[in-house]
Parts: sequence; structure tokens; C-alpha cells
Amino acid sequence: MTEKLLEIKHLKQHFVTPRGTVKAVDDLSFDIYKGETLGLVGESGCGKSTTGRSIIRLYEATDGEVLFNGENVHGRKSRKKLLEFNRKMQMIFQDPYASLNPRMTVADIIAEGLDIHKLAKTKKERMQRVHELLETVGLNKEHANRYPHEFSGGQRQRIGIARALAVDPEFIIADEPISALDVSIQAQVVNLMKELQKEKGLTYLFIAHDLSMVKYISDRIGVMYFGKLVELAPADELYENPLHPYTKSLLSAIPLPDPDYERNRVRQKYDPSVHQLKDGETMEFREVKPGHFVMCTEAEFKAFS
Amino acid sequence: MIRVTRLLEVKDLAISFKTYGGEVQAIRGVNFHLDKGETLAIVGESGSGKSVTSQAIMKLIPMPPGYFKRGEILFEGKDLVPLSEKEMQNVRGKEIGMIFQDPMTSLNPTMKVGKQITEVLFKHEKISKEAAKKRAVELLELVGIPMPEKRVNQFPHEFSGGMRQRVVIAMALAANPKLLIADEPTTALDVTIQAQILELMKDLQKKIDTSIIFITHDLGVVANVADRVAVMYAGQIVETGTVDEIFYDPRHPYTWGLLASMPTLESSGEEELTAIPGTPPDLTNPPKGDAFALRSSYAMKIDFEQEPPMFKVSDTHYVKSWLLHPDAPKVEPPEAVKAKMRKLANTFEKPVLVREVE
Repeated sequence: MTEKLLEIKHLKQHFVTPRGTVKAVDDLSFDIYKGETLGLVGESGCGKSTTGRSIIRLYEATDGEVLFNGENVHGRKSRKKLLEFNRKMQMIFQDPYASLNPRMTVADIIAEGLDIHKLAKTKKERMQRVHELLETVGLNKEHANRYPHEFSGGQRQRIGIARALAVDPEFIIADEPISALDVSIQAQVVNLMKELQKEKGLTYLFIAHDLSMVKYISDRIGVMYFGKLVELAPADELYENPLHPYTKSLLSAIPLPDPDYERNRVRQKYDPSVHQLKDGETMEFREVKPGHFVMCTEAEFKAFS
Repeated sequence: MIRVTRLLEVKDLAISFKTYGGEVQAIRGVNFHLDKGETLAIVGESGSGKSVTSQAIMKLIPMPPGYFKRGEILFEGKDLVPLSEKEMQNVRGKEIGMIFQDPMTSLNPTMKVGKQITEVLFKHEKISKEAAKKRAVELLELVGIPMPEKRVNQFPHEFSGGMRQRVVIAMALAANPKLLIADEPTTALDVTIQAQILELMKDLQKKIDTSIIFITHDLGVVANVADRVAVMYAGQIVETGTVDEIFYDPRHPYTWGLLASMPTLESSGEEELTAIPGTPPDLTNPPKGDAFALRSSYAMKIDFEQEPPMFKVSDTHYVKSWLLHPDAPKVEPPEAVKAKMRKLANTFEKPVLVREVE
């Protein structure tokens, strides 16, 4: 797992509004390795979804580079080159109700990618591929001619996954894929995603705010706060040994299904003044242990490592 | 035996909706009670009837298409079901307050928050404008909004999500209701904001001694706020008990399923989550027997034929499952649940068959 699939370098995404510039993503750098799941957590408005969307070029980045297999995704591209990228990178969206066109049949939704990339030569082959995909995600081929409204939330999310898989991508960005689903259905979808990863060697960027699910599915986790990554570490390491005070406050805020734990849980509040920034000093993203990065001051860096 | 402290008692409540597809039996005979100063959490998936139950107590179900099929809702011993709309208006806001999931849609965007908070006071008591404004400022302060004198004259869009939910709570508490129904009050909020709102609600409950019905699907939140828990499935309560009984000694396979499908922070990610297969049943045609049988790996033949009765496991713990019958085979809950199981002091030696929750 040492091969880098994706390198994000100084990615910036600023939105200009009448009231000033919103720095939704502000100088983000991290790598995603082949075959891993990188979890991205943070509160609403921290820029985690914008990060995902900028990586896949749904937004034009303000600055910075996204290298996919060593090639920059952003910047000028021929139509052909762009199509190629779009095939390798796919996205699963949060809301399974809004992300499927209600006027298209399931078969057409799933096969849209096949049509665009001309991956099926005949009508028969196209349908066959759709049936295969439906079965892969745990639906059956009778579902192909139905419309999205005939499905439950969990089933719709499966259709969304089948659509993403249709073009044989290497990398999938899942933006809160389970937060709109019921608890019992969430587990089904997460298990399916894990299974597919094993089978097809997929790489995931898993964006979510449910920290226990993120811990479960991710190999490494990045924590975002106000457009910046404040901590990035292997999943277990982050939970056992969180260093940044914001990560600590986030972890201490999750209620767990255990009454005894809940009775004793003490919530820590994050106050940015704890960093005791000196005049003119800025925080930097530093590696304190192999694989464990923290946004910290010089003094904190010494204390951590 | 009805204790004097019993604030609310729901008996065999059944509500259906008439639709083109037939009669949807949203809740099918629900029994529960709530004591003074207590928090009852109702958990279940979407469509399990938890929101319908809470709206029924406020009589907010649109009728038609909805209608009461049978049952009683006793609030301080008085049945709410036969009350007219006009009589209900004296109960809503004054006796029972409600907090909804989405703070933006439950506030009027064109009205200053101070006015929204005190609307209920003008409705229920004779109060001067000045006194009402003073009360609004007090309430905003109570729910932890800084600079209440200034905030009282602002509009909802000037508040953040968490602050809006605080306003909604202030609104619900304005007339000092005896019962507060909170329908997924933190689902739309971030974890850190959620933690603040939960702390606020627990704090307020201590201060003003209201009872709370807390509706949620998040078991973490349940463990945090609840004294007692009712687990709903397909329009029925399948298990109810104290919070410890539900988390440390669950008996119903659906409760097991819910608990096991959530990853804990200890679980490594190597083992698969125990998902509950399938989807909840269609309540136009509720399945015969045990509604959960179709999705349960513990289902027995009788589950497909006869509806299970209630079994009493302790004085406070009731389970609606054939698995507790003396003739049922002994089964093991999933590993994730078993790891947390422990013997609780007041559990009966053997489950006792009862007709209904007393």
C-alpha cells in the first residue's frame, strides 16, 4: 500500500461572494494510496465535501494540483483526456433521492456511463452489463426497468453504487453515502462497499461526519477544520492517540451506545487560543510520528514528538 | 395500579391512514407510559411509527387521511383522543411542547424570534407586551444564547443551526409545559452542536422538571439522554426497559440487530458489521405473526403464524418475542451484543407471560 494513487498538493478552493471570499478549502495537501480508504471527517461547513468535489473537478480549483497516477487532473485538458479521468474517478452522493433522475429507468441510470464512454457495443451487451451490476450490488435484474421512486433509500444508494461501478473506476469518492439511511441499512451499504473494495481493489475517499462509521471503514482518517486539515493519521492511531485539541473535542462529543460510558463522558471544548500562537507565527502541518500529521506550532511539535 | 406520578399513559393506541393503496396501519396497538421528570426514548427506523406516535399525542395527525382506530392517550388521567380541535389548542404549547427535527422549517423566517417565542404566552395567558418581551429574554438566556436582549429582535436567518434549535427549545418551553416531545431534535446538527443541545436539554429538565419523550434513531444519543427506552418496529413496541436493560440485557432480536449493526470505537474493521437483511415491512399489509420474522435469523415457525405476546423480564423490562417462551430453543445473540451483556440485579428468574404492559 505504498503506491500513491492520488496526490493533492496545496489545493485551494475559494468562493467569491458579495460579502468577501470564502476559503472553503485552504491549502490542503495529502496523498491517497492505492487500495486504501481515506476517511475525511469534520463538521458541516469545514470544507470536506468541497474537497471531494474539487478533487473530481466538479469545481475548478482556485489553486493547487491534484495528481492522479502522476497526472494533473486540473488544468487544460482535451476532451478525450477528460473523459479518461472521469472514467477512473467516480462519485457516490449523499442523498439517494436527489442523485437519481426520477424520469430515467434504473437501467438507463446505470448505463449512462457505459453510453458516454462507449463501453457497450450492442444493446444486448449493455443490458447484460446492467444486470451484472445490479447483481453485484445486491439487487436483481427485474429491477432494471423500474424507476427510482419504486425503491427504498438503501436500495437507491445501491443503484448509485452500481452507477459508479459501471465504468470500472479505480477511485471512488463517497460523499456521506450513508448518512441519509437508517441504522440497519447503513451496515448493509458499508458491508457492500467493503466487499467491493476487496473484490475490485478500489480506492475510496470516504467523507462523513459519523465518526464511528468512519473509523470502521477507513485505513487512515483526516480531520478538517475551517478548510484545513488539522490531523491525519491511521484510523486506530487517531482514536487512541489524538493530538490536535480539535480532534480531541470532536472525539469527546460522539455519543456511544453504552450508558455507562455516557454517564462518565466528559466533553472537551476546543478553544483555538490553546495553541498560544506568537506574533507572526503560523501553524504548520507537520509529521510528528511516521504517518501521523498534525497542524501545530513549533512548540507543540516539540511536545508531540 | 396507577401511581400518582404517572404523567402520560398510552393504551393500545392504533392509528391508520387511508390511502389509494389501502389502509396503512402506521401504529398497531402501542402501550407505554411516562412518569414525571423522566425521559423516555423511542427508537426505531423510518416508518416504524415513532413519529406518528409522538404526533398522535399532540393530535397533529392530519385527519383525514389519518384516523384513530382504537386506544387512549391519558394525559394526567384525561383522555386526549376525544378532545375537539379547540380543546386541544389549550393543551398544545401549554401542557405539551414539541421540538421538531429541522430548526429552520419550524421557525417562521419573517418573524422576529422574540415574537415567535412569546406567541404561545399570548395564546394561553393574559400577559402584557413588556412582560412577554422580558420573558422571551429570560428564555433565550435559559437556553444559553449570548446577548439575549439583542438576539430577541433578530430573525431566524441570523442564527446558526445550533442556535436556531436553542430558539426552538425556548419556544417549546415558553409556557412551562409538563411534557416535552422532541422528535429527532439533534439529527440535523453536527456532533459538537448535538452534544451541546443534549447537555442543554438534560440541564433544563433538572431545572424545570419536565418529562421528555425523545424520538431518535441514534442509539448513542439514547444511551446519553434516556432513563427508559422503547424500541419500535413496524408500528409496535417490541421491547421496552430501562436504558441499562436495553443496552446490557437486550432480549429482542430486532434490538440485537440494531445494536450489532453499529460499529463501536473498539471494533477494528476486520469483521463484517452484522447488518439486518431486507427492509421493514409494508404496513398496508402487515405480515402475519411477528413482523420482524422475515428479517430475523432467529425466526421460528410460530413467528410466521401467531403474533408474539409480551413477556416480562423484570418489573420494567418487557419483550414481545416468542423467543422468551419456555418452549423456545435457547439462542445466542450476536457477538457484538454478547460482549456487552451482563446480569442485572432485578431480572426475574424466568420471563413471565403478560397480556400487555401494565
